Parts: sequence; structure tokens; C-alpha cells
Amino acid sequence: MAKGDAFHKADASALLDDRGYSGALIRGQNPALLFEKGVRERITDSYYWKEQCFGLNAATLCDRAVELKFIGGTTGIMGKPTPFLCLAFKLLQLVPEKEILLEYLNFSAHSPEDVDTDNAGEFKYLRALAAFYIRLAWEPVDIYKTLEPLLLDRRKLKRRTKDGFTLTYVDQFVDDLLTKDRVCATSLWKMPPRSLLEDLDLLEPRESLLQEEIEALDEEGDDDVQIVGSEGDD
Amino acid sequence: MSNKKGAYGTSGGGDTSFRKTWDRDEYAARAEERERKHKEESKARYEAALEGKKYHRRASTPPDARETEARSSRLDVASMVGKTMLVPAGAGIGKRGKGAGFYCEACDLTFKDNIQYVEHLNSRQHLVATGQTGEVKRAGVEEVRARLLWLKRKRDEETKEVVIDLDARLEMNREREEREREERRRKRNEKRRKTKDGLGHQEVKIENDGIIC
Ligand SMILES: [Zn+2]
Repeated sequence: MAKGDAFHKADASALLDDRGYSGALIRGQNPALLFEKGVRERITDSYYWKEQCFGLNAATLCDRAVELKFIGGTTGIMGKPTPFLCLAFKLLQLVPEKEILLEYLNFSAHSPEDVDTDNAGEFKYLRALAAFYIRLAWEPVDIYKTLEPLLLDRRKLKRRTKDGFTLTYVDQFVDDLLTKDRVCATSLWKMPPRSLLEDLDLLEPRESLLQEEIEALDEEGDDDVQIVGSEGDD
Repeated sequence: MSNKKGAYGTSGGGDTSFRKTWDRDEYAARAEERERKHKEESKARYEAALEGKKYHRRASTPPDARETEARSSRLDVASMVGKTMLVPAGAGIGKRGKGAGFYCEACDLTFKDNIQYVEHLNSRQHLVATGQTGEVKRAGVEEVRARLLWLKRKRDEETKEVVIDLDARLEMNREREEREREERRRKRNEKRRKTKDGLGHQEVKIENDGIIC
């Protein structure tokens, strides 16, 4: 195993080394570049980053993430980064494997057979953090497939704004991630719309209540209407 | 009560006893980690021997260096807040020796504020002085899951602690109110018994036209 696989730097020196960076790439580039330069600098200058993010790995990062009290980007006239944003930046440094992100997103202390939508993702700010990272770092099909189930999560989230706090919800935040261009002081790269991925057969149409009703109607109709030649069509 | 047991069966009580439990968990985890590392190294040594090679720990690392880890608690800067510190002007780097400010024992340097202090703790100089590699071991999904289970257990127990505390306070309030009610009743009764007829002091009626001169 290469040395770089088992260890990473305690600080962001390697990540911020534009020419010397040799770590994992996200969509062909240094992951740090997913944050704007000014934001990057304010993060690495912040006390929270220096004190609380130094030496974290994917496991110890959970200690900080479960202590988060709000989401958000930067605050005040100085554009001070929130702990949420600092931890997201740390994730860009670590580039944890997929299973780890899924564990953050859907962690439940219940045994696997008892996990359902009501108890998955017990630490809601950790869930929000993972969702934010996934939107930045993963591929479109995986983003839709992984984040859409969170649209059922109605739990409250506190969101730090430039000069105060507002209330939002996990589902609202995820909806923002899937539809807006800018969330938490970060420009989200342009994702192909869901409909395009459906047309390309990369995604199944999203099931909604309405969809289920339509299908129920179709099934009722099956008794009366004979669909001719439906078997040999494809 | 001096022989009171803490909520986690630790004797001595005091409001820090539950923290010690966590420290112990942390120590146990560390011990396990050391054990695991030791096994890993033995395995690597063994495999190297099979291939007829000499085993080397990772190059350019002193043999007793340990991996860098995240801080397990906040730096204690709160205790310094509000203290006046005399720090030489232009102290960009630490000042040799113990002085007013933030002192690093390992390097024998004093820093004028918490930013400079934490920057020092993260520096190459300090890491080398304290035998750290400056590299952090990557965590796998099992470690992440184990960590989250631990954090969940910790949170549940802390919540329970708060509930127990709240219940105890409610119970104390109830008892205090009960005592006060009892005390008022007792005083009322006493007052009544003090009069000869047992009817207590009565209002003095003025038996004329009601005009008080
Ligand atoms: Zn030092």
C-alpha cells in the first residue's frame, strides 16, 4: 500500500499546495478548488480550523460533527466561516470513501434490520454535512439516488445567516442542494437536471404519491383494456 | 451525602465523575489501538522476513514517533481570558522560557495569544519536539461506525443525566413547597391555641357608632 493511502497530513498543507498536490481528485481537480479562494483562506485562518480540525480523520471528525449546532456558510462582515463549513472543507481534504459518507448520512444505532427512514441519520447535523459534501463531490446519478430519500426528513435545522439565524429543515436543505446554485457560501457545480438523466435511462422516474396513484389507476384499467403487442415491444 | 455513588457507579461523586468514565473509554480505545498497531507491525515484520527482507518502519520517521491525532478536548484558553499579560512587543514567535501567556512545556516557549499558541502546537517544530509524525492514520468505515456508536451512547447517557437532574430538582421543589405549607399551617394552629378559648385572636369590635376617636 502506498504511504498516502494509510495516512494523511494533519493540516491542509498538502491540500493547499497547488502544484504539489497528489491526493485524490474530485471531477479531475484538487477538491479544495470546490471552495472559493477567499472562503478557503478564511477557513484556514480561522481559530476553529486550527484548533478543532487539526489531526482529524474520518472517525474523529464525527466528534466535531455531532456537536454542530447549526449549518451555514460565512458570517459577519469579516466572512467568518461556520464550523459546518470548516468541517466540510476537512472532508474535501480527507475525501473519505463512499461507505463512510453513507455511514455519516444514514447512521443508526439500531441493528441493520431495524433501520428505517424514521431512525436513519440519527445525528442530523452530521447528516446535513454529509449531504453537502456528497453534492459537491459525487457524480450526478449517485447524488440524486443518495440524497432524494432525505426529502422525507422533516427535522429542524438551525441555519446561520450573515447576521443571524433562521430555521430550516433537513428536507429543505437537501432540496436546496438539488436545485440551487449557491448554498453555504459555496457555488454548487451545475448538475444535469433529473429529467435529462431520466431520458438517458440513468435514473428511474422519481416515485411520488401521485405516481403511485396513477399506477393504481392503470392497474384498475388493466381488466378492461387489452394492450396489444405489449410483450414483444422491446 | 459523602458516600453517594455517581450515576455511572463511580464512587466519590462530584460533577466531574461522569467525565472520568469517558476518559476511561478513551484510554481503553487507545490501549486497543496500541495493541492493534503492535499486531500490524508484527505482521509486517513477519511478512518482510518471509520475503527475506529486513523490516523498516516507515522511512524518515524516528522509531518511537507516534501518529498525530486530533485534540481530544478544547484547548484551555478560557482560563486565560481576562488576565492581563505582559508580552514583549513584536512577539511573532514564542518567547523562550515560561512567562505570562500560553506556555508550551515541551518546547519551553511562551506565546502571547491562543492563536499563536495553537499555530505553534500545529507546527513542524512542536510536532518533532513531541515525537509526532504530523501524519494522521486514515479511518475505515468500521472505525467510523464504532465512533458513532460511542458518541450515541455518550449522548444518551448525558441526556439521561440531565433528566435525572431535572427530576431531582422538581422533587426538591415539591418537598420545599410541602415544608412551607406545613410551616404555615403550624403557625396558624399555634396562634389559635395561644388564646384561652381556643378560638384564636378575634377582631376587636367597637360597640358604639363606629367612629374611632
Ligand atoms: Zn511546543
